[in-house]
Amino acid sequence: MGGGGRWRAVQGGACALAMVASLAAGCRSRDRIVVGSKNFTESDLLGEIVAQQIERRTGLAVSRRFHLGGTFVCHQAITAGQIDLYVEYTGTAFTAVLKHAPVADRDSVYRVVAGDYARRFGLVWGKPFGFDNTFAITVRRRDATRYGLTRISDLARLAPRWKAGFGYEFLERADGFRGLASVYGLRFASPPIAMDLGLTYRALAEGKVDVIAGNSTDGQIQALDLVVLEDDRHYFPPYEAAPVIRQATLARDERLGAALAQLAGRISDTEMRRLNALADVEHQDIATVARDWLNHNVP
Amino acid sequence: MQGVHGGSVSLWGFYARNSGEVLGLVGQHLSLVASSTAIAIVVGVPGGIVLTRRPAWRGPVLGLANVFQTIPSLALFGFLIPLPFIGGIGATTAIVALVVYALLPIVRNTYTGIAGVDPAVREAGRGMGMTDWQLLTQVELPLALGVILAGVRVATVVSVGTATIAAAIGAGGLGVYIFRGVAVVDDTLILAGALPAALMALAADALFGLAERQFAWRAE
Repeated sequence: MGGGGRWRAVQGGACALAMVASLAAGCRSRDRIVVGSKNFTESDLLGEIVAQQIERRTGLAVSRRFHLGGTFVCHQAITAGQIDLYVEYTGTAFTAVLKHAPVADRDSVYRVVAGDYARRFGLVWGKPFGFDNTFAITVRRRDATRYGLTRISDLARLAPRWKAGFGYEFLERADGFRGLASVYGLRFASPPIAMDLGLTYRALAEGKVDVIAGNSTDGQIQALDLVVLEDDRHYFPPYEAAPVIRQATLARDERLGAALAQLAGRISDTEMRRLNALADVEHQDIATVARDWLNHNVP
Repeated sequence: MQGVHGGSVSLWGFYARNSGEVLGLVGQHLSLVASSTAIAIVVGVPGGIVLTRRPAWRGPVLGLANVFQTIPSLALFGFLIPLPFIGGIGATTAIVALVVYALLPIVRNTYTGIAGVDPAVREAGRGMGMTDWQLLTQVELPLALGVILAGVRVATVVSVGTATIAAAIGAGGLGVYIFRGVAVVDDTLILAGALPAALMALAADALFGLAERQFAWRAE
């Protein structure tokens, strides 16, 4: 699930060292480009797209180290040189890796992240793919139509009669519910029900709650006929996905940078949601989804 | 090591600052475990008894209880949300799931306990002209009580741990701290939920251990 973009972000501290150690033992063939990914579908998909794009455009051999245990593991692995690139989210790098307080402006977040990564880690941020995997305040399409809901600020008048169900991460995070409630003046009848993020989708679809906070690229949004409300007061920080690659690797072959540049701005929120749904809801093979997408979009 | 030390210090600090909330969650946790175990006993013990009377049902029923054990809790919650009465979000759904998980040890131990009664003792009872009901309540159940209690003990101890997943469906309990801790990578929060749950499991185990010894001794 896309939510991982942020929360698996920092997870997995205990097993992280063990995994990095096993990576160190595992991949010694330095002539190959090693592509990593985090442990959720969207990261695997983007990793596979990047890997296939490199194979197609450069002819370099690529080995895949997918489904690593979250941001911490990927970051350790790439700074140690055990992987050459992986796809990261600007907001995650900004708050989880660089430990800045959340900021809503996407360009300044990207600038800070790209600058700090280059200076501190010798890592280059490629251009974002074009989508933003941030929190998505989500309602049933039926309600959106009936009450004319399109923006989060439309929610304020309905909130006193509505029930909300949120994941624990959204309730706890600095850029989560508390801030949202005060920025938009949301007063729900009862405190939001705290539950598992995946189950909030089911609870919303079944009418047990009326509003949830999903992730903007989750496949369920389309599959369950839900609508994401626009963050019209720009409360949520940006979580744009982009490839992060080692400077040393980039310098080895100039075709690499060109291959990655071809992917810039090619995947919209809707498109990412569709790809996630193909993998998560229709259980298609990730390599196949990536190949089809590349065939159609980067011929 | 320093981290562990610092963690434990801030854990007590956390408890001191949030004592009301902690007690509330402990209470929720206890009531989830107590109500689900009670229901599992009410369903499971008669169920086990029926199996001793209808041996042909044993395979399918225990097989089903086995399958229940293997359903991941989040998947089970997913199935339950749309259902009326036993589903939705909140305590009911959590209790239904906990009952489902607690059934196997109780049903199986009830069956095993009664089936393990010495046939000679049972024959002696029949010879004295006991009805099936008398045989069950005056001979088989008292002799099987130790084994049945062992099943309830396993079910309860496991439930204390499993009840932490109630937090995934809005039913509260100590899992709330664990889920919150995992969400924001805060070891103190995770410990704040896990530690009382572990102590509770140990206490339940010790309590049932005592009761079991008591009854096993009386049965002899």
